[in-house]
Amino acid sequence: MSHDETNGPIQVVEHTADWALQIRGRDLAELLHHAAQGLAGLLTGDLPVGTDEERTVRIDAYDTEGLLVGWLSELVYWAERDGLVFRDIDIREMTPTALAAIVRGSRVENLQKHIKAVTYHDLAIRSAGEGLEVTIVFDV
Amino acid sequence: MKTGDFKRLSPYLYEIPQAHRPDMRVPARFYADAELLQATLGDKSLDQLVNTATLPGIVAYALAMPDIHQGYGFPIGGVIATRVPDGVISPGGVGYDINCGVRLLGTNLHRSDVAPYLDELATQLQRNCPHGVGRGGGILLTRKQMEAIVRHGARWALEQGYATTSDLERTEENGCIDGAEPGKISERAYERARDQLGTLGAGNHFIEVDVVDRIFDETAAGRMGLFPGQVVAQIHCGSRGFGHQICTDYVNRFQRVVHQYGIELPDRELVCAPLDTPEGRDYLSAMKGAANFAFCNRQVLTHLIRRSFSDTLGGHTHEHQVYQIYDIAHNMAKIEQHEVDGRKMTVCVHRKGATRAFGPGSPVLPEVYRDIGQPVLVPGSMGTASWVLVGTEGSMAQSFGSTCHGAGRMMSRSRAKKEIQGSELRRELEEQGIRVRAGSLAGLAEEAPAAYKDVDRVIEVVHGAGIARKVARLVPVAVVKG
Repeated sequence: MSHDETNGPIQVVEHTADWALQIRGRDLAELLHHAAQGLAGLLTGDLPVGTDEERTVRIDAYDTEGLLVGWLSELVYWAERDGLVFRDIDIREMTPTALAAIVRGSRVENLQKHIKAVTYHDLAIRSAGEGLEVTIVFDV
Repeated sequence: MKTGDFKRLSPYLYEIPQAHRPDMRVPARFYADAELLQATLGDKSLDQLVNTATLPGIVAYALAMPDIHQGYGFPIGGVIATRVPDGVISPGGVGYDINCGVRLLGTNLHRSDVAPYLDELATQLQRNCPHGVGRGGGILLTRKQMEAIVRHGARWALEQGYATTSDLERTEENGCIDGAEPGKISERAYERARDQLGTLGAGNHFIEVDVVDRIFDETAAGRMGLFPGQVVAQIHCGSRGFGHQICTDYVNRFQRVVHQYGIELPDRELVCAPLDTPEGRDYLSAMKGAANFAFCNRQVLTHLIRRSFSDTLGGHTHEHQVYQIYDIAHNMAKIEQHEVDGRKMTVCVHRKGATRAFGPGSPVLPEVYRDIGQPVLVPGSMGTASWVLVGTEGSMAQSFGSTCHGAGRMMSRSRAKKEIQGSELRRELEEQGIRVRAGSLAGLAEEAPAAYKDVDRVIEVVHGAGIARKVARLVPVAVVKG
């Protein structure tokens, strides 16, 4: 999933101090999936990612934007804690405010970017065409 | 934001009136000259500044320093003060890198003493000081040790032999803010940072060897031991994953309660809670713990820098000393006393990319600096100058004892990465005589000097506005980037 494909589901947005991604998906599950892919792209660039590490992720949030932040924050945590990047995403259960997923990935020795956190800055999941769209600002 | 939305109050100070937007509780003010003003109008930073003027309990005005640029929630370079105890505290107003800050170390070495060994010194610094994405350090902390650092900050480093008493005396808050409770910090935060003490991190963090280029205030410079041609070193980093996780946890927790306190916000990253609520108190305590971790982190890095100087120069030069000049935070919320509308008030000053700059006479300053004002350390970007300033009566009167923290970005990271080649940049810097040791060339490109405003211009504004005074200008000779 490339970041810069015109009209692709993951687009880099100009931001002075940090990194921002505009993410699209046909539904919430796909939006979360693409958001995770976008994060993995920031972390690794084009470096290969295996599937030898697996984690179970459970998020219980206050609202849907909180679910998105909680989901990505979980992945940011594993990247900083153990250098793990997950590209294989299997969302098993999902409501607008909770999810359970199995994620598979691998340790990447030379992460391209240090993501400190996922912010709520101007965060709003909006209807766009027949799907959903959101812009996420990452603190780097 | 357009030019008709604000008025000029003085040569370097502008005001956006409270009437600009109905949800503003106070006016918003920012420092700039004509050129910096144009750069500021190029992004959303002034709109973000206006957003901070809506926070409950804010007093006087929301402020921005001349290095203001677009951040998330608060602009970077933003300062607000909220009433204690019923005003709010905002974790996003401190930022994820709690107590990101700068430390300046002086030496008794002249440029000519170090010049023959500069390559080796840069390499030793790179080797001894863990840096870069995902790099842990040489200290694996137990939970008990981490809790001790939360409570005692840099004092823990002193007990372990990584510090001198003089280092602590010359650190903001003496390297430890009282009132940090380990139980207010999540398991995740402890896990995330257990191998990160004494590490630099990545992004805009760096260790830099500089030379004193010019002295502007002989008395203050003399008190700090600064002299022309002197070799000094800077550290720029913060609380690493510990602070990132603490801020993440509390921004999430506050999202659940902000409406219970009747608070409406223009941006969810400004999420906040009154200081006199369980959430407000818990965050303040946890934030202090992260701040103490950051003070300790820069202290352990200081130890590693001293080792690097010894490894490089031992036996080659006269006996050398590496002593601390000062250590300051530029991402922090602190309970302080300030005069507002002619009367003393206790307020919570949020500085997000802004430096405390207390004037002469402040009882919290170490005795050695009390009559000259607090040293203020303003790093530039790679290849450009850095500055040593002191706080003034003007900063106490105008800006809640605050001033700028750096050059301030003006080019997005994505654009910098597209337009600037890391390898080319390194070559250019080397041609200027600056040794560069970088973990990532792409990361180096994002931090190119061209992505930043002119730090000398920023300094002219704070000096001209009277919210800090120039002491010395430094120029880089070696840079270690994450």
